[in-house]
Amino acid sequence: MALAFDEYGRPFIILKEQDQKTRLRGIEAQKANISAGKAVARILRTSLGPKGMDKMLQSPDGDVTITNDGATILEQMDVDNQIAKLMVELSRSQDYEIGDGTTGVVVMAGALLEQAEHLLERGIHPIRIAEGYEMASRIDVEHLEHIAQKFDFAPTNIEPLVQTCMTTLSSKMQVVNRCKRPLAEISVKAVLSVADLERKDVNLDLIKVEGKLGGKLEDTELIYGITVDKDMSHPQMPKQIQDAKIAILTCPFEPPKPKTKHKVDIDTVEKFQTLRQQEQKYFDDMVQKCKWFFSGGGVGGRYWYTPLQFWGRQLVLILMFVQDVGATLVICQWGFDDEANHLLMHRNLPAVRWVGGVELELIAIATGGRIVPRFQELTPEKLGRAGLVREKSFGTTKDKMLYIEHCANSRAVTIFIRGGNKMMIEETKRSIHDALCVARNLIRNNSIVYGGGSAEISCSIAVEAAADKHPGYAIRAFADALDSVPMALAENSGLQPIETLSAVKSQQIKENNPHFGIDCNDVGTNDMREQNVFETLIGKQQQILLATQVVKMILKIDDVISPSDF
Amino acid sequence: MASMLQPQIILLKEGTDTSQGKAQLVSNINACTAVADVVRTTLGPRGMDKLIHDDKGSVTISNDGATIMKLLDIVHPAAKILVDIAKSQDSEVGDGTTTVVLLAGEFLKEAKPFVEDGVHPQNLIRSYRTACNLAIEKIKDLAVSIEGKSLEEKKSLLAKCAATTLSSKLIGGEKEFFASMVVDAVIAIGNEDRLNMIGIKKVPGGNMRDSFLVNGVAFKKTFSYAGFEQQPKKFLNPKILLLNIELELKSEKENAEIRLSDPSQYQSIVDAEWNIIYDKLDKCVKSGAKVVLSRLAIGDLATQYFADRDIFCAGRVAEEDLNRVAAASGGTIQTSVNNIIDEVLGTCEVFEEKQVGNERFNIFSGCPSGRTATIVLRGGADQFIEEAERSLHDAIMIVRRALKNSTVVPGGGAIDMEISRYLRQHARTIAGKSQLFINSYAKALEVIPRQLCDNAGFDATDVLNKLRQKHALPSGEGAPYGVDINTGGIADSFSNFVWEPSVVKINAINAATEAACLILSVDETVKNPKSESAQGEAAASAMGGRGRGGGFPGRGRGMRRR
Repeated sequence: MALAFDEYGRPFIILKEQDQKTRLRGIEAQKANISAGKAVARILRTSLGPKGMDKMLQSPDGDVTITNDGATILEQMDVDNQIAKLMVELSRSQDYEIGDGTTGVVVMAGALLEQAEHLLERGIHPIRIAEGYEMASRIDVEHLEHIAQKFDFAPTNIEPLVQTCMTTLSSKMQVVNRCKRPLAEISVKAVLSVADLERKDVNLDLIKVEGKLGGKLEDTELIYGITVDKDMSHPQMPKQIQDAKIAILTCPFEPPKPKTKHKVDIDTVEKFQTLRQQEQKYFDDMVQKCKWFFSGGGVGGRYWYTPLQFWGRQLVLILMFVQDVGATLVICQWGFDDEANHLLMHRNLPAVRWVGGVELELIAIATGGRIVPRFQELTPEKLGRAGLVREKSFGTTKDKMLYIEHCANSRAVTIFIRGGNKMMIEETKRSIHDALCVARNLIRNNSIVYGGGSAEISCSIAVEAAADKHPGYAIRAFADALDSVPMALAENSGLQPIETLSAVKSQQIKENNPHFGIDCNDVGTNDMREQNVFETLIGKQQQILLATQVVKMILKIDDVISPSDF
Repeated sequence: MASMLQPQIILLKEGTDTSQGKAQLVSNINACTAVADVVRTTLGPRGMDKLIHDDKGSVTISNDGATIMKLLDIVHPAAKILVDIAKSQDSEVGDGTTTVVLLAGEFLKEAKPFVEDGVHPQNLIRSYRTACNLAIEKIKDLAVSIEGKSLEEKKSLLAKCAATTLSSKLIGGEKEFFASMVVDAVIAIGNEDRLNMIGIKKVPGGNMRDSFLVNGVAFKKTFSYAGFEQQPKKFLNPKILLLNIELELKSEKENAEIRLSDPSQYQSIVDAEWNIIYDKLDKCVKSGAKVVLSRLAIGDLATQYFADRDIFCAGRVAEEDLNRVAAASGGTIQTSVNNIIDEVLGTCEVFEEKQVGNERFNIFSGCPSGRTATIVLRGGADQFIEEAERSLHDAIMIVRRALKNSTVVPGGGAIDMEISRYLRQHARTIAGKSQLFINSYAKALEVIPRQLCDNAGFDATDVLNKLRQKHALPSGEGAPYGVDINTGGIADSFSNFVWEPSVVKINAINAATEAACLILSVDETVKNPKSESAQGEAAASAMGGRGRGGGFPGRGRGMRRR
């Protein structure tokens, strides 16, 4: 790109490496940007709604993802165009904030861009369009509030929550669709058990979503506790422990060592003896503390040459100590060697090793235990309690999982997904995530609007009415764009889009009832209230606002400067 | 060219690019005009944004003159001056960066025909300087002071200034919302000079209206170890301990090594290490603090220790956040846990960990000294928030400026038209050619309203005529009239609350005039070939080696510009 030429027609060198840069400006830049945005929306359009199709995505290293979730599709597509990236971020924002409606928001933005293109062709200033859209979006959001309904739920009456989650799940993969009722129930129960209803805060970190290949989707279950993808450290340990008292340790089953670099020179037998006595005393003290009298010796002699080994025999003491405190299960962040393993088994103290920090924390929360950094600090109060700990193996595989259930304090729960193949489990995980988010949003704000495109149609009518009062093409264009969501729904369900839309619209106007939507599942009624298709109010509002925001940003760009190899 | 006939005298290093004279001056002006043209369309509420894509793949969408100029990566020596004035305007006043570039470009453009006609640049420069002084006097004359108003009134006046700045930005649709937020933030830090007491945190997701102001400090949850979730997440009136030490079980000194010859001490070393950390933790707990923050890591041991005692802790807090907490809560950052007295502990009304979008935030609100504020920005895309942050920065600077130098002038091109009229009137009283130059300066000032119209798609000539007519009214009542961006006509900017702090305009006119004068006073550019680029340097040195034996590889180039 050259910005200026001298009188002989040679370009000035004004910018660094300017011959390697390209510049697109004015209406061309806007057109190019709009078509990039539209292209992204077009890809997602067919995934909208209960009859929406899935996309199969293959990553560079051959991993295959099959999904219907807008945010995931866009993330995996690895878009290069800058404007398209904005659309990806748009979808991601919706995902972060609401968790659901990631496809809808992109479709909406695409429709707005398409309308803007027509307006640009008529010579309307892009910022005028953006302002009109903004005004329309405000009308829209207000209208949504107007048609929204509050609904009550209590921990005992979860039906409305389940219904809303089902609406979310119904747009996911068909396989998930099959058992959406149990999945929705699981999600709602999980959210309710970790929710802080007073503060209206839900920390989704406390819900662990775990998947395991095999079984069928119906086997998916909610566990009031934690599952860990680990097994007992020794095959002969008991597989089931009732009323387990769990010691949660972050120290390895080996003697405490100084963190500072150290070296002990042992050159005489005496020195060695003192070292041994030292540590014996250490354990004696420790054991004394818990009134367990060390009877002394008896476990067999070994020669110890390094600090690490000379503790070997003291392991037994550690174990005795741990048991004496009352622990019936040890969960350890670190590993322990075969010797320790053997001793654990020998003393009938089941143990699990190499449990990750996050899981450890969740176990501590679920069982009400405390994480203990050193053996000395172990006291009976710090033990976690669980009604049942069991190791479960699946089908014919050797895979085993550890279930920690019936916990004292089920503030941490696990959703355990089973499914026929990996892709399905992944997709179910994403669907459950969406459902969890929806349930969380409802706890924050218990207003709902009706789904199936009914809210959009109703807004479209309201915006259209407002357009008569406020001059400007952009507001009317916004109303048209709103229609594209139910249109896409109808299209994806194999209905006549225009015919269906206009029928529903006239029905809404005639009966002055905003609950009519597209009958995607061919139930026979258009009334979404009867069909129990709900969406959260904040999710819908967010969609409109985010889409408007990003479209405004795209419209405002009139100059694109980029290196030419992009 | 006589020099071709006789042996050339080589004065400069070979490959040096020299060009001089009037042609050089004109070409410099052309280059500057070209650069000004790039940012031209970003001016005003109907200004457009630029998307700039660098070769590393990072992308910026911006409307801010200084940001665009910086990203354009200009190498032309004369045009670089424009980048510098945009930067200086940015650091001095914070806003008006597009204006300054545009004005400088326009001054040069007006000077070009005179230069081509053979006027000596120094004459032009002198007249421009005079005109500049006159203009600044006039601005000071016209400025309206907002001093002496009550706080409430002042707040709403400041919000008007902020709203004017924001109206040209991406977040213009919500300008009232953000303007009052910015004013609250600036008022909160009071006369504190340190701008970093206003934190801006960006959280993708949500919409603009979800942005909020924390009258205190907010920062993202730091990396946490196991046990963190067991800590309480909300306190009322907690004591806050601020540390700059590691609370972790580790060797006390790097690279230290302990050599033991007496094994009986082995255990004592182990114990010593544990005792050190427990001692530290115990002191933290004893101090009565309920929230412990550290700039360095707080390890898993400490996290669990605090969790057991119902204390909240966060390690690896960014330094600026920690400083803000210190300023807000009235605490001081400790580098040791010894002797923690109540005076060094801070406090605030409410501490809470809250979900914001996808992140969890630690929020300290209702701080006693109240000298900090944090704006949590929400928006649909990363670039959106980035741009919003830049816009807010401009607005914050403007409000701060207006607070200190509390005079404002009407915006929307009104003040520019008024100065232009004043200068034209003044020019008539001058005899000699300087009359022409001051007239051209006056004409150049009209570029601001003209560009506002052009960007909005109005007929600039038409609107400008209306404005000239209004401003020419002898009664002077037309002085505050500027472009009305909504109707395409003209309107009283002052009563429509389109206000700018006068310092923005003064600085812009000053900087633009100086830059224009500087460029006009240059008549020769000597460009050393080596400094062009690193690659050029390598090539030049290689060439130099060969060149000694074989002629003058760079000679032709030196001539080309002429």
